[in-house]
Amino acid sequence: MGNAYTRHYLTIWIWLLLLVLVSVTATSILPKLQALFLIFSVAIIKALLVARNYMHLKHERVIIYAIALVPLMFVIMLCFALFPDFVFHR
Amino acid sequence: MTTHTATASQTAIPSAKTGTWWFLASEIPVFGGLIASYVVLRLGGGGWAEAVSHVNFSLGLVNTFLLLTSSMTIVMAFAAVQDNNPQRTGAFLGLTVLLGLGFLVIKAIEYSTEITHGFVPSSGIFWSFYYGMTGLHALHVLAGISVNLVLWVTALRGSLAQHSYRVEAAGLYWHFVDIIWIFLFPLLYLT
Repeated sequence: MGNAYTRHYLTIWIWLLLLVLVSVTATSILPKLQALFLIFSVAIIKALLVARNYMHLKHERVIIYAIALVPLMFVIMLCFALFPDFVFHR
Repeated sequence: MTTHTATASQTAIPSAKTGTWWFLASEIPVFGGLIASYVVLRLGGGGWAEAVSHVNFSLGLVNTFLLLTSSMTIVMAFAAVQDNNPQRTGAFLGLTVLLGLGFLVIKAIEYSTEITHGFVPSSGIFWSFYYGMTGLHALHVLAGISVNLVLWVTALRGSLAQHSYRVEAAGLYWHFVDIIWIFLFPLLYLT
């Protein structure tokens, strides 16, 4: 069991570092808007890699997903609720 | 007592894990609210890019490396404790503590440099967010280091094997702190 897990965790770590490299490179070679899109897409992918593999979410039951996702939904709702006020009614 | 046992066996999810997830769920709105406010305010106002250019990108990148690596070491510690390997568990927990301390030392260097150059929390909205979000995050790192330190000492004494769930719970918290940094780094250093 030990070796298989070690290899898996190391692979995920290498992926995470490569994705950091992608984000950093994007800031210097891509136009700003495309770079922003790529950087935050990569951040979401990195967070999912950590959550699914290191926090073992991919082996968890629905209830754990629910505990984690419900507050996240509220945060996203908050973001969309505040967005028009600040961006369009300054 | 009987009712409690029956409920626990029905769910079959260890209480420590469920409790940790509930705790992490309560942390999501704290950091999420800050991040959402930062994003919305930044989209609605100009002049942030100039302030961002004063943060130390290289140190932020090193800290990213340290935290991502510490996430790997603590999950290795969990795998080791499940394999009933106390030496390996202790080694990985010790590494996690060292990496966390390294993160805080670098953060302190960053703060001192920025304050020396006159960038304090009252220097502007970016700096208020910068110190607020990274400061709160650093406090969480400090809390994680404290827990990991206790686990490390327990592992060195050889009495952690029967409490492997503690490493799992500490690991969940540590990974959450890592995920927060995964978003703070691009928000504060890259954009």
